[in-house]
Amino acid sequence: MDQLFDVSLFAAALRMVAPILLAALGGAICARVGLFNVGLEGMILVGAFSAILGNYLTGSITMAVLFSVVCTLVFSLLFAYMSINLQANVIVVGIALNFLATGLTTFSLRAIFDVKGAYYDKDMKGLPKLDIPVLKDIPWLGDVLSGQSILVYAAIIIVIVLQIYLYKTVAGFRLLAAGENPIAARSLGLHVKKTQYVAVLICGALCGLAGAQLSLGNVTMFTEGMTNGRGFIALVATMLGQSNPIGVAGASLLFGFMEALSYRLQNFSIPSNITAMLPFVVTIIAMIFFKNSGYKDEAKKSSGSSR
Amino acid sequence: MDKLKDTLQALIQPLLAIVAGLLVGAIAILLVGGDVLETYREMWKGAFGNFFFLTNTLARATPIILVGLGVALAFRAGFFNMGAEGQMVLGALSAALTALYIPGPGLIKMLAAIIAAIIVAGLWSAFAGWLDSRFGMNLLITTLLLNYIATLFAGYMVAYPFKDRTGSSALSQTQMIDASAMFPKLFQGMTVHLGFVIAIVLALGMHLFMKHTTKGYEIRMMGGNPLFASYGGVNRGKLMIISMFVSGAIAGLAGASEVLGTQYRFLDGSLTAANYAWSGIMATLLANSNPIGTAFAALLLSALQTGGMGMERNTDVPLEISSIIQAVLILFISAKITISFIKRKKAGAKDGSAV
Repeated sequence: MDQLFDVSLFAAALRMVAPILLAALGGAICARVGLFNVGLEGMILVGAFSAILGNYLTGSITMAVLFSVVCTLVFSLLFAYMSINLQANVIVVGIALNFLATGLTTFSLRAIFDVKGAYYDKDMKGLPKLDIPVLKDIPWLGDVLSGQSILVYAAIIIVIVLQIYLYKTVAGFRLLAAGENPIAARSLGLHVKKTQYVAVLICGALCGLAGAQLSLGNVTMFTEGMTNGRGFIALVATMLGQSNPIGVAGASLLFGFMEALSYRLQNFSIPSNITAMLPFVVTIIAMIFFKNSGYKDEAKKSSGSSR
Repeated sequence: MDKLKDTLQALIQPLLAIVAGLLVGAIAILLVGGDVLETYREMWKGAFGNFFFLTNTLARATPIILVGLGVALAFRAGFFNMGAEGQMVLGALSAALTALYIPGPGLIKMLAAIIAAIIVAGLWSAFAGWLDSRFGMNLLITTLLLNYIATLFAGYMVAYPFKDRTGSSALSQTQMIDASAMFPKLFQGMTVHLGFVIAIVLALGMHLFMKHTTKGYEIRMMGGNPLFASYGGVNRGKLMIISMFVSGAIAGLAGASEVLGTQYRFLDGSLTAANYAWSGIMATLLANSNPIGTAFAALLLSALQTGGMGMERNTDVPLEISSIIQAVLILFISAKITISFIKRKKAGAKDGSAV
């Protein structure tokens, strides 16, 4: 057991939490304004691909992350336009965007890199790892918390910022109001549509970061469909966390840890097919124990009156 | 006259979507430096160019039609069953194992394989329905997550306990089933098989079932207006489990038909890589869950895919163009679905599970 639960497992868990957490926060903001975003999976995929593409084109890691965020923003605009302006069913739009993301990335992979399946460049630089001055000298904690990619720390900071933004600022309250009771919000002169757009765009930016962490965080590569269900797991994290940033972070930690554990268990001569099931099984079990009543009310509100 | 007008109006949106899809496809072709007309000509040839290609397209359409029909049934009832992939894979695995290990003449093996696929896939799908009606777990999410579990489990089964160790290949697959249990081909030397006939018959049968039976009416009512349905005495939980069972069973049948008609064994990843399940869901979305329409949409998607393969053989344009065209089709169609959902919303539908 000592071998199983060692320092590197927790360090890996933190690394794997980041994409799920970032996307789940995006999902939470969308849920807050009454949009159930099934398209997270596709948005992360676009982010992951454009991060690699940006890195390939510019050679600069900052530009790569920026490029990824911009591309995902454009992609999320499509979601916003179809679900807010055209009033299309958000779930169908989400599913359609997932298809579009798969299509666009596989096509671009062929068209730009002329490879099928995966693009890997060993000379490409990944996200920089940060050593936190004092923290890194603390025996166990230092090894887990220090030396992670910059986006892991960004994710933690974003959780705190969002928590403050949503519950301590006027703009945040307006965002909540737009989802809580759109008609009342509108009668107060709030721009509900604008607020929804802002929420979707924040979600897009966060998914771009999530994708960048996925493709540039540990190994610098892109594989077709490399999100592998993380967007859906993030969606569950959104629901379990009741769309509250701290709660979402807790749920994402659980799922990220399970993902790290599933990789680790492969070293114990357990077939990889069985270990790879672990995150999905735990996610489903978690859904039984944490009723998402709060989330469901959100969904009803959105279908009832906001549009 | 009104009827003609209605039909024309129903056709305009899909046609517009196809035009839009081809336009975006043309842009993508230009981007990679291809000749648009030449590329589309090759695509057409690859899908319908000669009898072999035509039957090939029909063969590919078979599992897509079946999955699409299964999903359409659930969608009609307002249940977002996204688990077709897992259901199909489990159906294929059960069909292959049953055909391998049930003794008796070929016909018995074949029927037993189909029944096993239907039962296993149906139960797997009904399980998600039960989780929703019993624990209030969002069906859309559970079915998505169950996909991963099902495909990984099937992969494990053929990588370890039931792996084919007779041949020299290291692939994760079962042994080949007995020739007597295979679906007959419809034409000598062509790929299209009995499964296609089953799919078409099922599409017609489902059309009649939806229109002319009480259960079909209950399903349409539940999808159209859940509150009205429950007022009329329809038990939502029960209907959910039943329709999820049937929906999954048909997806399982798709898997069985692939095993018995095309691959003759269960090979890990072969069904998921071909994207049959997701194409089926796309077909359902394109046809707005109409059974006959789903069959046609499945043919269209299949033609795009086989056409893409033909195109890739003869031009420099990558076959992934097809997936872009498909995605644009879906995107455009989701605006159309909007109209029916707005109608539904006006009718006061506020059900949680389908939201």
